[in-house]
Amino acid sequence: MSSSLFQLGRKKFLRAPQLEAKFTIKILMGLVILYFAGSFLFAGVVIYPALSKKFLEQDAISIINSFLVLIFAFELIIRYFLQQLPVTEIKSFLLLSIPKKRIIRNVLLRSLITIYNVIPFLLYLPISIAMFNDDYLLSQVFAWWVSLALLSLSINFITILVNKNNKVLATFVLVFIFVYVVEYYSETEILRSTGHFFDSLLAHPILVLLPASIFLGLYFITFKFLKININLEGSLVAKTGVANAERYNFLNVFRPHALFLKNDLRLIVRNIRPRNIVLASFLFLFYGLAFFPSIEYQSAFFIPFASIFITGGFLLTFGNYVPAWDSEYYPFLMCQNLSYKQYLDSKWRLMTFAVLVSTVLSIPYIYFGVDIYLMILSGAFFNIGLGTWITLYGGLLNKQPLKLNVKAKAFENTQAFSGKQFLMILPKMILPVLLYLIPAQVFNSTVGLITLASSGILGIIFKNQILNQMVKLFVKEKHQTLQAFTQK
Amino acid sequence: MIKTNSLTKIYGDKTALSIDQLEIPTGQSFGLVGNNGAGKTTFFSLLLDLIKASSGEIISNKIAVAISEEWKNFTSAFIDDSFLIGYLTPEEYFYFVGSLRGIDQKEIDLFLEAYADFFNDEILNQKKYLRDFSKGNQKKVGLVATFIGKPKVIILDEPFANLDPTTQIKLKQLIHKKSEDKELTLLISSHDLNHLTEVCNRIVLLEKGSVIMDKETTAKTLQELEDYFSA
Repeated sequence: MSSSLFQLGRKKFLRAPQLEAKFTIKILMGLVILYFAGSFLFAGVVIYPALSKKFLEQDAISIINSFLVLIFAFELIIRYFLQQLPVTEIKSFLLLSIPKKRIIRNVLLRSLITIYNVIPFLLYLPISIAMFNDDYLLSQVFAWWVSLALLSLSINFITILVNKNNKVLATFVLVFIFVYVVEYYSETEILRSTGHFFDSLLAHPILVLLPASIFLGLYFITFKFLKININLEGSLVAKTGVANAERYNFLNVFRPHALFLKNDLRLIVRNIRPRNIVLASFLFLFYGLAFFPSIEYQSAFFIPFASIFITGGFLLTFGNYVPAWDSEYYPFLMCQNLSYKQYLDSKWRLMTFAVLVSTVLSIPYIYFGVDIYLMILSGAFFNIGLGTWITLYGGLLNKQPLKLNVKAKAFENTQAFSGKQFLMILPKMILPVLLYLIPAQVFNSTVGLITLASSGILGIIFKNQILNQMVKLFVKEKHQTLQAFTQK
Repeated sequence: MIKTNSLTKIYGDKTALSIDQLEIPTGQSFGLVGNNGAGKTTFFSLLLDLIKASSGEIISNKIAVAISEEWKNFTSAFIDDSFLIGYLTPEEYFYFVGSLRGIDQKEIDLFLEAYADFFNDEILNQKKYLRDFSKGNQKKVGLVATFIGKPKVIILDEPFANLDPTTQIKLKQLIHKKSEDKELTLLISSHDLNHLTEVCNRIVLLEKGSVIMDKETTAKTLQELEDYFSA
């Protein structure tokens, strides 16, 4: 019985419409997966010997241990956004004579077979092997690796338990960032002290029982959770909450665009997928923290690169799916007496607004130097003037519909991702870097900043002309887009 | 009001629709019947420029539908649930449609009062998004929204499907009342021969994309249709 449940899962995968997506996309996604797998593997192989060489007086493994908590937090966030529970098909099994326990066990086991759960093998296993070669006992290495694998899998269950609860995630992220910042600047050990646990794991391998009991405990809690909720009214099925009757009348000042802006705001607030994307774009604000503090990254290439991302998070994530956000009711829109120009203009305004907000929110980056903030500012100009249009152009060519109220599936999800779009990402990343870098190399960095900013200002000056071209493209693609969006 | 000339729609080597000539005069209630795949929705989609014709043209109120977009000023339609915005409440949806047709919220509120009976207290003030309504209630919203802004052409694909019996009868009365307006051209498709012969004064029968029968509705029409479909 259980094997037939697995077979259904396999068929669902093999017969999914995504699998029939264009061949190029499959290759692209394959490359992306290979890239990440390769990076993890590379990190796993290289990190231990590299650290041993660099820090002679410290244990390489205890440095790694002190960073594990960061990796786990990152893993949790990524899984939260991208990992999908295989629960969608539960509904049809509820009426068949299969014991509930078996269905749940199957769901839980199947949730373990995801791309994320190979991380322990790619990242931690090579480290373990390096440790073994470095005179650690097999029992120590084994305890260490098994503990990490079990904790990684525990995160898998935590993801299920917090499923769809954005408040829990937001609290977690905020607390985590707060603790991290405090630790970074006050030289106290809060997060890093968790490393001591992994250190003692090596001293007393028997401690592996602790992660093991966490894993088992979470398994049973999740099991119970699903058992209570596995009915048509439980939390697995989308809830019908009370509608939020906010009228957003403050947007009326933006007439005649208010109509579309209001709808876009409702779209974002009331649907799972756009909400997650906006939350994710908020995280882009912290992108600079990864680059600016460390001296090695203060290179000419990475600073403009990071600056574009800090203010462009929403732009990239939202703009790529215009008009796919409206795909569920696209035929309706195309029958209405609406001005395409106003429609696209309001999307532009929304993105511009997001860039402006991010620019204000990124003021704290002045801490790293006025130069860096000026870079962010000229990046913001570029984003408003050109970034928006490049993203919109890519979005208009996108022919994959979006399901609004469903979570995105990682890697399996080639929906809303096309080869053309992939090509559109390149100019978005490379163009601003070149616009800054070339004049900065030939003259000086001030000229670079001015060039980058004025390219954006040009885009704003010629907004009307660009918008007209966008409308032309929009009309030209109308029937093809309609056909693609209405295909079920 | 609507004229089509040698209209065809071909998918690959399959002809989905091929109509030599069809004229729908202003004020007519035009009923379209046919089995699945006969081309009813294809015809409506062509009228709304949702798909491109393989050949031929459609002239609606002197406007070539495939060329100008002016027809949107006087045309409204409800084809399927892709004509609803799932994350809006019914009120917000009506307001949205209203503002696209230049009608403000107060007028919409007034307009909706006239449909209180049709809604049967199941639509307004429910504090629910459209996606959470039942199929039947969703359809009620979509149908009423087509009447906003006094359009001259209304296209309804399968308006009776999914409605409960009471609402079906109310809808028939509603369509009757609408068709008294001699400026309004109504195009309706349905699988329900009873309903369609009751509300339409002309019936066109499609089969495999071609017009098989085209008649003014008389007392005999229902019997003729039933004979055709049971043969």
